Amino acid sequence: MTAAVEFLNVSRHFGSVRAVDGVDLSIAEGTFFAMLGPSGSGKTTCLRLMSGFEQPTGGMIRIFGQDCSAVPPNRRNVNTVFQDYALFPHMNVRDNVAYGLMVKGVDKRTRHDRAEELLALVKLEGYGARKPGELSGGQRQRVALARALINEPRVLLLDEPLGALDLKLREAMQDELKALQQRLGITFVFVTHDQGEALSMADQVAVFSQGKIAQIGTPSEIYEKPRTRFVADFVGSSNVLTAEMASRFGAPARPASLRPESIRIGDEGARLRGHVTALRYLGSGTRIVVAVPGGELSVFVTKGHPLPEQGAEVGLVWDAQAMHVMEEG
Amino acid sequence: MRSDSRPPLFLTVTAIGGLLFLHLPILLIFLYAFTTDERTYQFPPPGLTTQWFAVAWNREDIWPPLYLSLKVAALSTVMALILGTLCAAAMARTRFFGRDQISLLIILPIALPGIITGMSLRSAFSIMDIPFSTWTILMGHATFCIVIVFNNAVARFRRLSGSIVEASMDLGANGFQTFRHVILPNLGSALLAGGMLAFALSFDEVIVTTFTAGQQSTLPIWMLNELVRPRQRPVTNVVAIVVFVTTFVPILIAYYLTRGGAETAGGGK
Repeated sequence: MTAAVEFLNVSRHFGSVRAVDGVDLSIAEGTFFAMLGPSGSGKTTCLRLMSGFEQPTGGMIRIFGQDCSAVPPNRRNVNTVFQDYALFPHMNVRDNVAYGLMVKGVDKRTRHDRAEELLALVKLEGYGARKPGELSGGQRQRVALARALINEPRVLLLDEPLGALDLKLREAMQDELKALQQRLGITFVFVTHDQGEALSMADQVAVFSQGKIAQIGTPSEIYEKPRTRFVADFVGSSNVLTAEMASRFGAPARPASLRPESIRIGDEGARLRGHVTALRYLGSGTRIVVAVPGGELSVFVTKGHPLPEQGAEVGLVWDAQAMHVMEEG
Repeated sequence: MRSDSRPPLFLTVTAIGGLLFLHLPILLIFLYAFTTDERTYQFPPPGLTTQWFAVAWNREDIWPPLYLSLKVAALSTVMALILGTLCAAAMARTRFFGRDQISLLIILPIALPGIITGMSLRSAFSIMDIPFSTWTILMGHATFCIVIVFNNAVARFRRLSGSIVEASMDLGANGFQTFRHVILPNLGSALLAGGMLAFALSFDEVIVTTFTAGQQSTLPIWMLNELVRPRQRPVTNVVAIVVFVTTFVPILIAYYLTRGGAETAGGGK
């Protein structure tokens, strides 16, 4: 099966800045693909390379097997949900959604009927006559989604679409987006800097760092088996044991990641002892920082378990298989 | 400690005095259009009549300057709309070396005294051996009309989110469709306002016109010449009312069109 989107050693340099630096990736058709990374890591530039608003300085981009370097944005069967939604302020919601059909020359009646169908899909029936300025952030987001879907793209690109929404709405929209993607069966490429969002929604996650892909895999692979220190730290703030520490605890002499929730507090079988330096209440539990010889470790204690006092000496227990050896430090 | 917010009496009186000083003379212009005395502007007028409107209508020397003024104002507005919008689009959408300097050069004609603009254009025309015509007046007026349109358009471009243009392309629109359906509707009222101001400014311009008109006279120049002649003086006032209406109404409309936005409608001059 041909991949929906394929990058072959793609680079995009702005002067001396390597925004995207030799990226290879292949997105299978019908997947929900997340591009995760801090700001400036190149994920948005990758998205703009797919939509055609940026041209690669090197390498090749294929969409459904076709080299698309010479294809302008308006001829690609790819649509975008913009970060600021980019709704046309002078048009009502129905005309916004129908825009893609209007420029194709579809007659008014047909395109308005189709716009109403899409508004129903995003649960905005009856909002067609309103102007974007009269809608809430979440509603605008849905309009942007409906507008991007009207041309029936085979790939939908979403540039941090939930960034401007409050937490509650964001979680609801995450579920809806996921359900929508499964119903439509098209490929979603989603840019986000929120690791929770990427892990909960995506089938595949690419973690970006400094214009390169640090790791690509399923959410559980990324979380359980981070390949680099950057991934371990960025996705779920893992502890990174030095090579020397790892070998002392029976793992190969290479840096290893150890998730805070894999560590228990207890004296029996304690691998390390240290003093509690900080406690941070997180609602579902408490994150405790323990100073140990050679560094500090974060421990996550779930709600209901006894908490140590600040400054108390505690023992730290974990299973040998909880340590995941990484390829590099 | 004063708890009421009323301004001091002195300030109120001077403010009212200042406004009267500025606007009473305009009312006098209107009043003298109806006076029965045709040689001097004596106050109060000895009697009131509407005969001067009929006289003005039948004076054949008024019509050619009126046509010329309307023609020049209309053409320089069209020219300013095209060139000013293009300039604004270039300035708002691209970054290049020397952009700020060029932007300053575009705005400069409005800061430059009209007499300087007029003199430099006149000498340029004579060096290049260009005879005076409607087109030379037009070029003079375009210098400031373009700036008015540019200022209005550039402010609107800045307020538009750049991604709506991308969104339009993304949805399959070509450059022309994007301009027609997305850019133009959002720019519309700014262009209308800029165009009306440009028209009003061009219609009553005297200084630059004096230097670039040669033997032709536009309506304001005709009025200037008429003032020194002691014949049928109120006719000039009738024409003044016409000029006032033709320039004031567009400016008023432009003001209401751009109200509410942080936009420069007048921008000086």
